[in-house]
Amino acid sequence: MRRSRTLVSLIALSFVLSACGSSSSDSGSDSSAQGQEGVLAPYDASKAGGTLTLVAKGAAGTLDPHINYTLQFWQLYQATYDGLLSFRKVDGPKSFETVPDLAEALPELSDGGKTLTFTLRKGIKFSDGRDVTVNDVKASYERIFKVSSPTAGGFYNGIVGADACLAKPATCKLDQGVIVDAATNKIVIKLTAPDATINYKLSLPHAVILPADAPTKDAGTTPIPTTGPYMFASYDPNKELKMVRNPNFKEWNREAQPAGYPDEIVYQFGLTAEAQVNAIKNGQADWMLDPIPADRLSEIGTELPNQINVHTLTAMWYLPMNTNLAPFNNVKARQAVNYAIDRNAMVKIFGGEQLATPACTFLPPGFPGHKDFCQYTEGASVESPAQSWAAPDIEKAKQLVKESGTAGQKVGIVVSDDEVNKQMGEYLQSVLNQIGYKATLKPISSNIQFTYIQNTKNKVQISVTQWYQDFPAAMDFLYILLGCESFTPGSDSSINMAGYCNKALNKRMIDAMDLGVTDQAAADKEWGEIDQAIMAEAPVAVAFTPKQIDFLSARVKNYNFSKQFYMLVSQLQVK
Amino acid sequence: MTTHEPAFDLSSESPGKIALRTLVRDRRSWIASSMLLIVVALTLSAPLYASLISKTDPFVSTINGTVVLDGVEVQVLQQSTEGLKLGVNPIGPTWKIGPYFLGADNQGRDVAARLLYGGTNTLLIGFSAAALTLIVATLVGVIAGYSGRIIDSVISRILDVIWAFPVYLLSISLSVVLLTSGFKWGPLSLEAGSLYLPIFIIGLVYVPYVARPIRGQVLALREREFVKAAIGGGAKNSTIIFREILPNVIPSVLVFIPLMVSLAMLTESALSFLSIGVQPPDASWGTIIKDGLGLLYTRPIVALTPGLFIVVTAVALNLLGDAVRDALDPKARLRGAF
Amino acid sequence: MTRFVVKRLAAAVFVLVSISILVFLIFFATPGVDPAARIAGRNADQLTLQQVRATFDLDKPLHIRYVSMMKHLFIDRDLTSYVNRGAEVLPQLTQAIPATLSLVFGAAIIWLFLGLVLGITAAGMRKSWVDPAIGIIGIIGVSLPVYWLGEVVNLITQGRLHATLFRWVPPLGYVPFTESPGGWFLALLFPWLTLSLLYAGIYIRVIRSEIVSLMQEDFIKTERAKGAGEKRILIKHASRMSLITVVSLFGLDFGALVGGSALLTEVVFGIQGVGRLTFTALQNFDLPLIMATVMYAAFFIVIANAIVDLVYAWIDPRVRRG
Repeated sequence: MRRSRTLVSLIALSFVLSACGSSSSDSGSDSSAQGQEGVLAPYDASKAGGTLTLVAKGAAGTLDPHINYTLQFWQLYQATYDGLLSFRKVDGPKSFETVPDLAEALPELSDGGKTLTFTLRKGIKFSDGRDVTVNDVKASYERIFKVSSPTAGGFYNGIVGADACLAKPATCKLDQGVIVDAATNKIVIKLTAPDATINYKLSLPHAVILPADAPTKDAGTTPIPTTGPYMFASYDPNKELKMVRNPNFKEWNREAQPAGYPDEIVYQFGLTAEAQVNAIKNGQADWMLDPIPADRLSEIGTELPNQINVHTLTAMWYLPMNTNLAPFNNVKARQAVNYAIDRNAMVKIFGGEQLATPACTFLPPGFPGHKDFCQYTEGASVESPAQSWAAPDIEKAKQLVKESGTAGQKVGIVVSDDEVNKQMGEYLQSVLNQIGYKATLKPISSNIQFTYIQNTKNKVQISVTQWYQDFPAAMDFLYILLGCESFTPGSDSSINMAGYCNKALNKRMIDAMDLGVTDQAAADKEWGEIDQAIMAEAPVAVAFTPKQIDFLSARVKNYNFSKQFYMLVSQLQVK
Repeated sequence: MTTHEPAFDLSSESPGKIALRTLVRDRRSWIASSMLLIVVALTLSAPLYASLISKTDPFVSTINGTVVLDGVEVQVLQQSTEGLKLGVNPIGPTWKIGPYFLGADNQGRDVAARLLYGGTNTLLIGFSAAALTLIVATLVGVIAGYSGRIIDSVISRILDVIWAFPVYLLSISLSVVLLTSGFKWGPLSLEAGSLYLPIFIIGLVYVPYVARPIRGQVLALREREFVKAAIGGGAKNSTIIFREILPNVIPSVLVFIPLMVSLAMLTESALSFLSIGVQPPDASWGTIIKDGLGLLYTRPIVALTPGLFIVVTAVALNLLGDAVRDALDPKARLRGAF
Repeated sequence: MTRFVVKRLAAAVFVLVSISILVFLIFFATPGVDPAARIAGRNADQLTLQQVRATFDLDKPLHIRYVSMMKHLFIDRDLTSYVNRGAEVLPQLTQAIPATLSLVFGAAIIWLFLGLVLGITAAGMRKSWVDPAIGIIGIIGVSLPVYWLGEVVNLITQGRLHATLFRWVPPLGYVPFTESPGGWFLALLFPWLTLSLLYAGIYIRVIRSEIVSLMQEDFIKTERAKGAGEKRILIKHASRMSLITVVSLFGLDFGALVGGSALLTEVVFGIQGVGRLTFTALQNFDLPLIMATVMYAAFFIVIANAIVDLVYAWIDPRVRRG
């Protein structure tokens, strides 16, 4: 998924590597101990209370969990809504595992994996006092289609009956796909084909359980009753969002939905990033969403190291190149760009080597299927790749540009108009000019840049964008971003921005997804090969793997970083 | 702008000569002109400065580059070495004649060199946009004031619509549309990154500001005896406009010149600040202020100096404007901000 | 005169309608702003997009969409945002009004005070050094880019000297008067000073030059001949007469500011007023909100212009032609 305030879905991938090694001192909890257990430390009632204040430049659109697709609000849904399953709400690598949430246990599989049987827990209530019933479950899954959730077609089309629901959302009925029995509290979900990632999909906010009578259109700013430790009290997108304790919440599975510490969580909108930093320094806010401005990083890194937490992410910053438009319809031109960009320089723009690592592969380090290789560094090539990136090779890039016959052509670079992206764009413009193009920079409002670069009508040649994993599955990077099915000309929703469609490799990807149902290890190895094969054609240039910084006020304790939910908001202690 | 009685001078000197003499005698015009000359000279010396003193290309990013200062080779953008080692800082001002006199910006470019180049663009846009405004506004104002009711109404309504648009909305909307796709109208074609776009937009937006007072002045002039006499005498409209109307309108236009240049400059810097004015890697004082905002806490010099340049230039222009106005008519009464 | 009034008001309405059409057209001519994909969410599939288009009437021809939007905005008053789905646009606007009014009224009081006091003083002390000195203040005032000044003020009060000299400065943002009068005042203090500096510069110069030219008028000479002292002439007669120009100028400036022209000041100081709302709407390409804020701003500019024109027409009949 893309990590912008407006459009992001987020699923973390379990990885074994350096994640915790790179984080700084944590105020309070011992992350690794809990991480091993897979559950948070026991609830300490003496630390409960107080109001947690979060700040951001703006709100994230609708509050409706079935529709909202932003990191900003998904971070809040973890403590408010629940699905049949959930990712472990814990610090560390185990946060990638799914655990039963509203269901009593992980699903029983039958019929070759096409049928999943759950039993709904008894005794859980919504924040308005009503019991959660199996009817609410069925209605919620139907609601995904009725409100045209952004992932209705992408993630939930495997449910039997989904096709009809996608064609006629208003009258969606999943009688064949979601079969519930109020007497036994059982829920049976039938799929058209086995899906190795269905557990993850059922753990996303787009599949949380809402009351059956929730409005069948976008609820917008009207809060829907919740099941988690908090509920939404009010929401004014220009001022603030307020969450208070859910009076009907009783912890039923600490792994899935732990009780929260603050009595109130207030999210204030409107401050610029600089002002947010000042607010936290002065103790007027507890945490900020927006990236820390570059000119404050060294200041707070030096003065307030104990209030900073850094974690590696399975994500990437990359440059899609339009393979159907000059000059990047020529593979040599694309390879030239890959050789030319100084990934260290881009890392510097992002904030320095503590905050990002240069990358060459499409699958980030630690991701299933990741294979270490780098074809586009000094001294390496597609035929004999190096292990990792070392330095750019401008001379080779210039050479390739000449050979491709595209030298002197005009290239427009489309970037978001926020500070970091603009700096990236300016740098790229300089580099492209250096290797022989006539480059211009087009900064576009970050609210529309993402859809703008997808639409072929806009004739975007090269852009800068990010991708944060949705799924701990290689297909979430390779197939979603580079599969033929993700390319729709003339549409704002065509996530394969490179317009890349290699039929042979596409088939290999589909085969690998099928293989993953039975033999994930073999599939992952195949994904590594596919990664290298695709990068040989260089439809994109991968720049670096970013890290996440969380800057907290001095009084906040008990910081936990889940690879799925990032900072666990409900677990922060402010008393 | 209300009308004024032409100075009835019994001497043989023309009003123009009198005005010039007053201007030359006015201390303000000397101070202002010298300030402007210094600024213009500095900005024009940009290429010399870049090649001889800063010895770097101010339009090329050198993020991973190095520079030799005091015999030591240092990184232009230095990794922080304290605390958690977060962040990267460009080198600060060296205050020595040579590379990075005012330090580097986020792309590792020499700020002083960019400041000088940026001045060229800001001044160019300021003067060109002002010229565009004044020419179009005079045309429009004279036609509206002199013509029949219908033409006047139509023109006035168009001016009202342009003026009622909040300046920034109109500029932002126009800029976004034109900056992404360029401007094509018949044979006229402007590239997306062209400097003509901000000139065109700023020039257009201020037309009502000048056209209305001119229209008012022409309206009043039309009722004056000497004009009525000319009309009654059977003279052609074009003759009347050129012989009687324009000479009386020109002084007002002259007074507007420094003011409009100053306004255009300030608007350009605001638009560049909003990223819809001058486009990278071109610089203008406005874009450097914007760059500087990203460095405000560590290298405030980058944001402060272009602002100071703008202030100094605008002050000089306003001073000059005052002197010109007083020279042309000491009793001039102005409806409008001066 | 009545005919003039009617014509003038009709012109005002025409302008407002034209602006609404222009905004609508500009928005839909801007590339990359098809609302359907953003409303539907990232990676929405084609069926979802079609569905959203139908819900929001996005597949109907332009003029029908325009009429529908105007109806929702003015008659039904339930126009909803494209970006914050479900959030009605008009309440967002009305909630932002108090902040802008507070900012503009406070700044206006300051700049009028400065303009009058310094302008009159400068005019009265023309022969001394005071006049040029005040003149320089005025010129500097009009030469400052307001957003730059605001950022510099922030750098000092919120950053560098916050721990020491400016500890009492609250964080950026607007505190409603009903919530805390003290907080309201402190939070607006620096925004007031910053915004008023630009206008103070303008008004000092206008008032001074008005008075100076008035001082040479015949009726003033008559007063002198009658034996009135300079000071009395200055304060009683010239100042009063200069007010005509000043009031009309103030009407125009104030009208524009109330409508949201203080956009940059609001953005820099984090005040959630109408100007900032307009700016956010523009950045987000949220057409319903853009339409509402632009109409609001245009309304005030047009009304202020109309009033000033009517006043002038009443005073000077020659102007009634238009």
